[in-house]
Amino acid sequence: MTSLYAPRMEDAKGRLRPFGIFFEKTLKDLIKGIRTNNTTPEKLQNFLTQALSECREEAASTDLNMKTNAVLKLTYLEMYGFDMSWANFHILEVMSSNKLQQKRVGYLAASQSFYKDPEILMLATNLMRKDLKYGGNHDVVKVGIALSGLSTIVTSSLAMDICDDLFVMLTSSRAYIRKKAIAALFKVFLQYPEALRDNFDKFVSKLEDDDTSVVSAAVSVVCELSKMNPAPFVVLSPLLYGILVSISNNWIIIRLLKLFTNLSKVEPKLRPKLLPKILELMDSTVATSVLYESINCIVKGNILDKDDYDTAMICLDRLHAFCDSSDPNLRYISCVLFYKIGKINTDFISKFDKLVFRLLNDVDVSIRSKAVELIEGIVNGNNLKNLVTTLLKQFVNEDVVLLQSDSTGIESREIPIVIPESYKVKLVHTIIRICSMDNFIHMTDFEWFNAVLWDISVLASDLPDKALGFKIGEQLRNIMVKVPSMRDSTLSTIIKVISYGNISNNLPSLLKDCFWSLGEFSNHIDNGDDLLELMINREHLYPPEIQKVIIPAILKVFTNWCNSAPNPNIERIEFILNGLLKYFESFTYSKYFDIQERAVESVELLKLVLEALKEDDEGLPLLITDVLPSLFNSYELKPISHGTQQKLQNTLTVDCQTPFLTEAEFQAILDQEESNIDDGSYSDKSLALDDEDYYENEDTRNERHSISSAFKEAETESDPFMKEEKESNPFYLADENEEKNNVADLLDFTDSKNTPESSVFISLTKHDSPQKTNESISKGEKKKKKKKSTTKVKKRVEIIPDEIVTDNELLATQQSNPNLITSNNSSSTINSYKGKINLKTNTKLANFDFFKRNDTDSLSPSNIDAEAGVEDQIELEKLRSRFGNQSLGHTQAGEGEEVIVIKKKKKSAKKKKTSRKKKNAVEEGDSAIGSL
Amino acid sequence: MAIQFILCFNKQGVVRLVRWFDICQVDSQKPQDMIVQIYRLISSRDHKHQSNFVEFSDSTKLVYKRYAGLYFVMGIDLQDEEPIYLSHIHLFVEVLDAFFGNVCELDIVFSFYRAYMVMDEMFIGGEVQEISKEVLLERLSILDRLN
Repeated sequence: MTSLYAPRMEDAKGRLRPFGIFFEKTLKDLIKGIRTNNTTPEKLQNFLTQALSECREEAASTDLNMKTNAVLKLTYLEMYGFDMSWANFHILEVMSSNKLQQKRVGYLAASQSFYKDPEILMLATNLMRKDLKYGGNHDVVKVGIALSGLSTIVTSSLAMDICDDLFVMLTSSRAYIRKKAIAALFKVFLQYPEALRDNFDKFVSKLEDDDTSVVSAAVSVVCELSKMNPAPFVVLSPLLYGILVSISNNWIIIRLLKLFTNLSKVEPKLRPKLLPKILELMDSTVATSVLYESINCIVKGNILDKDDYDTAMICLDRLHAFCDSSDPNLRYISCVLFYKIGKINTDFISKFDKLVFRLLNDVDVSIRSKAVELIEGIVNGNNLKNLVTTLLKQFVNEDVVLLQSDSTGIESREIPIVIPESYKVKLVHTIIRICSMDNFIHMTDFEWFNAVLWDISVLASDLPDKALGFKIGEQLRNIMVKVPSMRDSTLSTIIKVISYGNISNNLPSLLKDCFWSLGEFSNHIDNGDDLLELMINREHLYPPEIQKVIIPAILKVFTNWCNSAPNPNIERIEFILNGLLKYFESFTYSKYFDIQERAVESVELLKLVLEALKEDDEGLPLLITDVLPSLFNSYELKPISHGTQQKLQNTLTVDCQTPFLTEAEFQAILDQEESNIDDGSYSDKSLALDDEDYYENEDTRNERHSISSAFKEAETESDPFMKEEKESNPFYLADENEEKNNVADLLDFTDSKNTPESSVFISLTKHDSPQKTNESISKGEKKKKKKKSTTKVKKRVEIIPDEIVTDNELLATQQSNPNLITSNNSSSTINSYKGKINLKTNTKLANFDFFKRNDTDSLSPSNIDAEAGVEDQIELEKLRSRFGNQSLGHTQAGEGEEVIVIKKKKKSAKKKKTSRKKKNAVEEGDSAIGSL
Repeated sequence: MAIQFILCFNKQGVVRLVRWFDICQVDSQKPQDMIVQIYRLISSRDHKHQSNFVEFSDSTKLVYKRYAGLYFVMGIDLQDEEPIYLSHIHLFVEVLDAFFGNVCELDIVFSFYRAYMVMDEMFIGGEVQEISKEVLLERLSILDRLN
């Protein structure tokens, strides 16, 4: 029976524990163990799994000391990636311990692990409440621990349960507690924005606390909240401004500046007030960070006006100095800010080209990459070549070795840099962009541009971004179409490109436009037969999108070649024809129907040609001399700006809203149409009629919007202009001053060209006629240079009306808005409303965080009764019912206003005000239009 | 969100401290994978000549600094200003240094919970709560005496 009383192993260990004698592994042992077992991964793995299973046992123990120790070890292991959520219950137990040390370990483990399993927090709520109760001296620590833990693990339901306790703490006599409570409230507000709405004033009063660290915490929290929803905090701006003026703590100043950045984005009236103060701050401060934040505030807070050159220059000069600093951080952020300023108005940065050149050669590739974005702002006709050369140099050297002469160090060193491919891709994009900007406005030497394009084609063929090919091809095509005098040399570049194996293998996307250009301008080529052989004699097939283009291109080259030679070599033609037939036949079973269709059509056509060639002994058959060219030859192709057709369609749909024919006119047209059908000449006339309709349509629109008579002039002139356009090609004539014989050339090819499309879909040309007018319209936009400007201006004007139409509406709404703003600010009671209501409107805060808005919406009613203020309640309830509808997605007719609330936040605030003030119906009508 | 996460790892990529403040961020990706990515990105950068800021994803950029063998990293929102967070990191390290007395990696390894305590005193919910080194150290010494 002695064994009954004999102490067991566990008992003995348990008794010794209070004296600091442990038999379990302590954290120290664990860490040491990990370090000694670090030699091989397997060994470490074994050790860790063993340690983990020990922890598992220890955590299940009833002894709280042992449990705490286990939890602490688990927390450490968690950093190695071991999941510890299975121990969440044990953590809770440790958290509820009365000993502070253990409690602290518990909360630490909770902050590391609870985020994975929000369910566990249901159990933690009561514990948290208990821990947040402040009573007595020692509790400061306890409450502090609880607050820290809470802020990491809070969820919306926990936030709701606990926010009242937190607000009580705001009035605590201890600054430490107030400060922590404020910081913890930030997380609560994110999860449960109603708390802020209902206690707005209470919270905001902490901005005026006596203790600096409390103020600091409050400013930080307001700053963070305003990032998500600045509107409710605009009311605070006088108070915040007061703090900004009086405080000398740089940390808080920086926070305030950030806060004002957020506020002035939504409240333009703040800007003139802030600007002088910020400029003053910039002058007086010595701290770089404050200086930087000041500039940042001016730029990002939309305080900097487009035409405020003085302020811009002050900022830029400071940034310029930063950009020259030896600190890469400062260079980087200044570079980013530079870009932002440049975006406001590119003129601001245009004189800083030297700086950009320097930044382009920075040691830090991320700074270079930012500088590349700046290039667009500084490029001009003079430095374009230099810039591109600089950029191209960075390409060639994979690892650029740079000389860096430190201002501190005496000798300069060479530092190898790895240039990432993404940077090179960016370079290619930039080169193309700056060269072709504003329709080649900076381009003086197209020979050189050709060389550059060839270089980047070769470079791009080694880069992973396949879209680059399209971009480069587009440039080649643009030069071909837009710069007639350069066609010969561009063609030679194109031929170089298509015969360069690496490009056709790695970057076939480039070839699409190349082939198109070859076909379109094949009359510049003497030995078309060689070219054709080059095109068709390839071991592997091109991708489908290239095949699609190459078929008509080959036809065009063939046609032009046959007709160009004075004494055609029939045998050679026959030989080539056979080659082509063989090539096209390989496509006739293509799985892409459009390729198949084109191939079959071409094969049949060429077979006919071959037959005709055999029958006809002397000279070329009519099929080659007349029929084939006629396929490609109704008019010269002209550049159209991208998306023009779509724009036209848009305007048409706008017009469709109102009938522009009276009933009688409509009837007349119908009658006419019937008679047309009787005639049997239906198609042609009715198509012509369509055109007339189109013009009529334009006219009516112009009248309707009562746009100045200039447009109508343009309208009436458009017809004669088109004829003129067809005959000669005036803007090409005007284009290049170099050669007159060019003109002759041009007139020659006007007869030999057509789109590839038209060769296939001949019937389509009729339908194109409205688009053709459009072509001429768009020319205004796209066209190059000088002389033509008289006609061009009129043409360009034609596109503008649509933009004005929309602008007018915008203007109208904008004009009505400022009035509203002033009326808002005139009465303070409304302002305080605004704070509360807006907050609710944008359950935005909730939207930003981690749980669905529906949750908070459904939660909110439970809160109503707790609120004071009967009027407020009614108001809020009304709003709530509306928002309830919103979240369900109902947009009922009567609630047009609320619909806008979702879409256009800024407007909505004002609109709401309108309704509350019972503005007349006219304005509401306005807003309805705005929402359309 | 203010600070999305604070991370501290050594040159080998072994995590020494980690605290996630933004649950959203964590949900979308496994934390361990994210840490590995961050480590790869940062360790590949030249810490002498390159800036301490780098864009990490479309919602996060990283501000980091290397102190001896330890990288301290903060993940922040794209629209935030980097320099202020860099100074947060610096302050954090200064406080650690003063608290442990010439801190080294081993200090953080062996008393990681104390390092977390420093973190908790300085940051709360991703927001800086105290910026005065003296106040922080005083508070920390009170807390430390409890052990």
